[in-house]
Amino acid sequence: MTAAITGLGAIASIGGNVGELFDNLCAGRSGLAPMRGFDHAKYNARQLFEVDNRPAEGVDVPKRATALLGTAIREALADAGLGPDLDGNPVLIGTGLRELRSVELWWRDGAPFEAGDLHFGSELRREFGAADTHTFAGACSASLYALALGADLIAAGEHDTVVVAGVDVVTESMFGLSDRFQPVPPDRVRPLDVHRKGTILGEGAGAIVLRAPENPGRARLRSVGINCDAYHATAPDPAGVSASIRSAHERAGIKPSDVDLVLLHGTGTPLNDEVEAGAVREVFGEALETPLLTGIKSMTGHTSGSAGALSLVTAVRSLETGLVPPITGVAERIEETEGMRVVLGTAQQENPTVAQVHGFGFGGVNAVAMLEVS
Amino acid sequence: MSLLTAAQPVLPGIADCAGLLSAPRDTEPVDPAAVLGKKGLRYKDRATQLGLVAAKLVLTEANLLDGEGRCTDPRMGVLVSSNFGNVDTVCRVANTIAEETTRGVSPMDTANASSNVIASEIAIRFRLRGPNLMLCNGSTSGADAVRWADSLVRAGRAARMLVIGVEPDNPVVRELSGNTRVLDGGAGVLLESPGAARNRGVAGKAVLRRCVRAADPAGCARELGTEPALRLGSGESAPFDLDARFGASSGALGVLQCAASIGWFSAGGRGSVHAISGSETADATAGLLIGGADE
Repeated sequence: MTAAITGLGAIASIGGNVGELFDNLCAGRSGLAPMRGFDHAKYNARQLFEVDNRPAEGVDVPKRATALLGTAIREALADAGLGPDLDGNPVLIGTGLRELRSVELWWRDGAPFEAGDLHFGSELRREFGAADTHTFAGACSASLYALALGADLIAAGEHDTVVVAGVDVVTESMFGLSDRFQPVPPDRVRPLDVHRKGTILGEGAGAIVLRAPENPGRARLRSVGINCDAYHATAPDPAGVSASIRSAHERAGIKPSDVDLVLLHGTGTPLNDEVEAGAVREVFGEALETPLLTGIKSMTGHTSGSAGALSLVTAVRSLETGLVPPITGVAERIEETEGMRVVLGTAQQENPTVAQVHGFGFGGVNAVAMLEVS
Repeated sequence: MSLLTAAQPVLPGIADCAGLLSAPRDTEPVDPAAVLGKKGLRYKDRATQLGLVAAKLVLTEANLLDGEGRCTDPRMGVLVSSNFGNVDTVCRVANTIAEETTRGVSPMDTANASSNVIASEIAIRFRLRGPNLMLCNGSTSGADAVRWADSLVRAGRAARMLVIGVEPDNPVVRELSGNTRVLDGGAGVLLESPGAARNRGVAGKAVLRRCVRAADPAGCARELGTEPALRLGSGESAPFDLDARFGASSGALGVLQCAASIGWFSAGGRGSVHAISGSETADATAGLLIGGADE
C-alpha cells in the first residue's frame, strides 16, 4: 500500500497552521496555559493545552471541535491545490470525544445544540458539500485508524482522493475524571522522564489529503498497522503495542534498521511511556540505535483523537526539512530508553527518510503509520 | 464482497432475525444478565451491556467461542456503531462536577467517558485482537459500519469482522434526539470473506453486494440499482420501517437492517434487499444491497 500525502493542515495550542505548529515545536515552545473555559474552583488542575477559539475568557460555546476541524481541512485542501468542494470524496474523521463537549453545555447549561452535530458530517456537508463522511471514535489512536481505512480505499483503487483528519477539544467529563485521580496535578508533560507525573489534555485538529500514489506529494504513506490489545480498558499491553509496530513494518516491507525517525505516542503517563519504550526496544532489537526518537506532547499536550494526525503532520515536516523537534522538560530519562537516540531539549538536524508514527488509545487500540520522503 | 454468516437481534421479545419483520414486540427491556451472567456487568453502561449481548449471541451462533467464552479467531476485529452510547455518562459526570467538583466523580466512569468504550469492552471480553473501531456517524452509522467491516476484510486486515449496532434508551437520548420512542437494543452480524467462511465449512446466509453513500434516499436507491424484492428504509416506498416498529434506532439501524434481510431470506424470500438509512433532512444517506446466499 502506498499513497501520496499531498496536503496538510493543523491547528493546536501552539499554532494555527502547519508552519506555526512545526516552528514552535522545533523552538521548544509549550502551549500549556491557565484553563480558559472551565471553572477553576471545580478542579485540582488549573492548566490545559487549549486552542484559544472561545469568544472570551471563561465563555464556552458549542461546536469548537467542529470549528477546529474546518480550519485544518481548509488548510489541507488549499495546500493540496484542491478547491473547497468535497462532493464525491470520502472524508474520514478520527476523534476520541466527538462534540461531546457541546452535549455537556447543552445538557447542563442549556446551550443550543442538535443531535445531528454530534458527528462532524452535518457541518462537512454544509461547508464542503461532502456526502461521504465518517466520524470514527477510537480514543487516542483515532486519526491514525482513520488513516488506515482511508489508505485502504486508495489502495483498492476505489477513490483517487481521500481526506483524513483528527480532532478533539477537552470535555469536562474526560478532564474531570482524570483530575479526580491527580490530587497533585502534573506541572507539565514530561514524556520518558523518571519523574513524569502523568499527562495533561490538549486540543487540536490535523488534516491530511491522501491521493493515489502516482500523484506528486509532500511525502508517501507506506503503511498503517492497526490492532487491538483486547487486554484492559485503560492500560496498554506490551504485546499488542509491539504487534502493531511489526504489522506496520510488514505491510510496508520495511525493516527496523530502515527507520530513521520515530514519533512516539509519548503521553508522559508512567504506564504508556514504559510500555512504549519497551515495545520499541523489543521490535528494533539490534537496530535500536538507528532511529531518532521524539514526540510532541510535551508542547501540545495530549490532544486525544487528533494526536496521531498532529504527529503525522510533524513527521512529514521533519522528512521535508530534515529537522526533528525535541521532547522538552526531560531532566532524567527512564532507564527503558537506554541506548536510544532520543531528541531532548533542542531540535536536531538529521535528514530522515523513513518515519514511523505511533498512536495508542484507551481500550488498547493501536495504530502505527510508516512514512517515506517523496 | 463479504458474506453475512451469522446475525442476531437484541430486542425485547424478538428471538431471531425473521422475528424482526413479523413477531409481536415485547415491552419488557432486554436483560443483559440473562445472556451474559451477572459477572462483570457492574459499572458498564447500558449500551456496552447491549453490545456485549449482541456479540455473545453472534459468536455463539457462529460457533466461534471456546470453552472459556473467548473467540477462537484471535485476529477477528469488531466495529461498533452507536451515536448515543455514552452521552448519559458524559452528562451525568458534567453535572456532578458542577455540583460537587471533581471529588464527586466515580473512577468507574473513566472508561465510559471515551466514545469507543463499547468496541473495546467487546474486544476484551471475547479476546478480539483485530481492528477495533467505533463509528458514531449519525443516521447512516450502522450501514457505514457494515461498509467499513467489508473494506477491512477485503483489505486483508481481518478474515472476519463482527459488526454491532446498539443504542440505549434513557432521558438524555430522548431529549437530545427529540424522539419519545427510542430503541433500546440493536443487532450484531458477522461478515466473513468467502474464503474464511469456506475454510471453516460454513455457508453465507446472505451476501453483501454493494455499499453506497448518496446525498438523499432516492440517490441511494439509484446507486444500488436492480429492482429489490424488499425495501428496508422509511417512508411510503419501504413497507418495513424498523424505526417505526421498534423506536428510533439511530446508529443501530443499518445493522438491524442486515439482520432483518437475513431473516427475510431465511423465511423464503428471494431476490435482493435494499437497506437505506438516512433521510432528506440528514447529512447523507447510506444504502446496502444484500442478496441471498444461493443466488
